Amino acid sequence: MKGDAPVVLGEPKGYTAQKAGVKRGIAILDFILRLVGFIGTLSSAIMMATTNETLPFFTQFIRFRAEYNDLPTFTFFVVANAAVSAYFLLSLPLSIFNILRSSAKNSRIILIIFDTGMLALLTAGSSAGAAIVYLAHRGNTKANWLAICQQFNSFCERISGSLIGSYVGVTVFIVLILLSASALARR
Amino acid sequence: MSTKEAATTIDVPESSSVPRGKASIIAAAKHGGKAGGYHRGVAIFDFLLRLAALISALAAAATMGTSDETLPFFTQFFQFQASYDDLPTFQFFVIAMGIVGGYLVLSLPFSIVCIVRPQAAAPRFLLLVLDIVALTLNTAASAAAAAIVYLAHNGNNNTNWLAICQQFGDFCQKVSGAVVAGFVAVLMFVVLVILSAVALRRH
Repeated sequence: MKGDAPVVLGEPKGYTAQKAGVKRGIAILDFILRLVGFIGTLSSAIMMATTNETLPFFTQFIRFRAEYNDLPTFTFFVVANAAVSAYFLLSLPLSIFNILRSSAKNSRIILIIFDTGMLALLTAGSSAGAAIVYLAHRGNTKANWLAICQQFNSFCERISGSLIGSYVGVTVFIVLILLSASALARR
Repeated sequence: MSTKEAATTIDVPESSSVPRGKASIIAAAKHGGKAGGYHRGVAIFDFLLRLAALISALAAAATMGTSDETLPFFTQFFQFQASYDDLPTFQFFVIAMGIVGGYLVLSLPFSIVCIVRPQAAAPRFLLLVLDIVALTLNTAASAAAAAIVYLAHNGNNNTNWLAICQQFGDFCQKVSGAVVAGFVAVLMFVVLVILSAVALRRH
């Protein structure tokens, strides 16, 4: 049959160049966001990992030193943030490749797949950390869990602050996936 | 007189200053062909995955919501009742899983639209955006609840937090099961997002 081959009318040159320009703009924004996410998650991991507070008095039974690895959830938080910041660093070359080649499809799909996985990991780490930080601030009377923030002030402030960088990373991931998908969906 | 059959070429002068229309015209051979079948398969798989994620999310919310336990003895000082609303994180979990389940119910019609019209990109992109938001909410709720469940199972010596699972066995089991169901829904959301992105690639 004659009509098997699709007949495509070419688009004018100006329009194709404009579309490539939009894709390039998206790729540049992608690169900048990855840098922002890298800085956010790295600073979050470092801030949590360097928490160390010793109260200036002691008794025989109670411990007066607080470190991040006293709580296994914070260890997971540091590991997740460190892994995600390493991923951001490693995905920068792929992002640069997307800037140079506006019509790249496979690299964008790979970035979307890995971004989704890392989004899940980072959200899990930061939410688990947030739950424990909330518990440290409020305690829980029903479970007889004391609010340790009453005693360890600077430890508490530090762990609360380190959540911010982590959530910046989560927001960055959401925007990145949306950008990559919109760049993919444009013909 | 013999009619000569000759190919005629017609020159149509184009003025390049006028911008042409944006749509590219593709012959009808492409519609409903192989590309449509592939998209339809992806859309059906998406719909089934959505149903599974809905069941998982609702199961998680229901299990956590009905996790009350009262121990059969009491003393003057201690409380021997455990319920999900004793811990604000579990309240957040129930509410978030309820929201996610409600979103999945509302997204089923859009998924059906994607099955019926395989070439449409707009509903697929909308589902992608909303799925990412739902994935984040789901992961946040499940991870926060998992942190508290871990604490309930193991306690913490350094902060003097006792492991309440030693006393409330049933409560602990139900709550742990709810968290597992929450993470199953997370996994399905990840696959849904990747599926939508892959389907958009072919447009």
